[in-house]
Amino acid sequence: MRHALVLLTAATLLAIPAPAQQNATSAAATVPHAIGGHPDLSGIWQYSIDLPGVALKKQVNGSVEIKKVDLSGRRPAKTPVPGALPFTAAPSYKPEFQAKVKYLFDNEAKLDKVFFCGKPGVPRIGSPRQIIQLPNEMIFLYEDMSGDPYRVIPTDGRAHRVDAEPSYYGDSIGRWEGDTLVVESINFVDDTWFGEGGYFHTTAMRVTERLWKVGDNLAYQVTVDDPNVLTEPWTEAPRLVKPSDDGPQESPACIEDDSKRMLNLDHHGQR
Amino acid sequence: MRRPIFGALMAVWMLLAAGSGWAHHSPSSIFDMSKKITLTGTLTQVEWVNPHIAVYIDTKKADGGVENWKFESAPPSWLRRVGVTSGQFKNAVGQMVTVEGNRAKDGSLYGFLQKITFADGTSLEMVNPNAVDSR
Repeated sequence: MRHALVLLTAATLLAIPAPAQQNATSAAATVPHAIGGHPDLSGIWQYSIDLPGVALKKQVNGSVEIKKVDLSGRRPAKTPVPGALPFTAAPSYKPEFQAKVKYLFDNEAKLDKVFFCGKPGVPRIGSPRQIIQLPNEMIFLYEDMSGDPYRVIPTDGRAHRVDAEPSYYGDSIGRWEGDTLVVESINFVDDTWFGEGGYFHTTAMRVTERLWKVGDNLAYQVTVDDPNVLTEPWTEAPRLVKPSDDGPQESPACIEDDSKRMLNLDHHGQR
Repeated sequence: MRRPIFGALMAVWMLLAAGSGWAHHSPSSIFDMSKKITLTGTLTQVEWVNPHIAVYIDTKKADGGVENWKFESAPPSWLRRVGVTSGQFKNAVGQMVTVEGNRAKDGSLYGFLQKITFADGTSLEMVNPNAVDSR
């Protein structure tokens, strides 16, 4: 039995690509492992939906307190992330769609449904707020103003569902490549953007999320493919998400009230 | 060295607009960023909703009439993470408050709240974190 486990482990390591092996080898000594011998990704992770970059200045009885929010989990990591795939700054659209992307971006203030309480979907929602790791599935919990979605991601080798309706968060299955959890999602509706900047997609979009531990942090990197509109898959910059002791809470209702007062389409690039 | 008020307000707004999904438009598309307004009145209602919380304030006009203003502010998820709860606002309903911010360009009684001072003197203000050290 023990020999079988060793052989199975060796076979698993031989089966994964070289970069993932390096990642697994370097991280294996320090990353706590969970049931099944896989790295333990469970826990509460830093809130990674974008928030204002302002600070709060609170004055009470003459004393001043300044508070800021750590936004690092939403931003590209500032230093190289071990195990990350090569990435580029923006997706490459087919020439016939580039004008549409520009139009959507120019009119983002009116057309981006996320701005009007719409669901961001995968991958725009970012990294999970909490991960519950079970032997045969991963449960991702999120906080978002459009609602607080969850995803149940089988890791037992099953195929994608064939009876599911297209959705904002798609149909996901997971597998382990060394110490990296790889989540493949398909079957999306086509009315989300996979990034600000007018990054529209079709129902053929396929999203691959990679999650692994770097020290105490969770590394998160996304690859988006949509052969209908992109010339090649787009891998985004990796993010490093810190552990948190602030568990998810239900998000207040979303009631957008100021867009009707907009006098022009001025907006800002956001990330 | 303090920045001029306009510059400071714009800097704060640029940072606000850096958020995703809630501060999506340029501030100048809705609010008059060239003028800061300050109003004192009775806090009548608080809406702790996304993408911006909102507070309602009754102010008295010179002729004795009352104006009901609505001010939007930051998202609840940001306020929670800087230690502000809905209870702090809701406990102040019925009390006098002073708000500072910018009025909507459409002339309605609508504004963006950047600072609120409660009856007990406690104040909450959104500031540019890069300017904190000089404030």
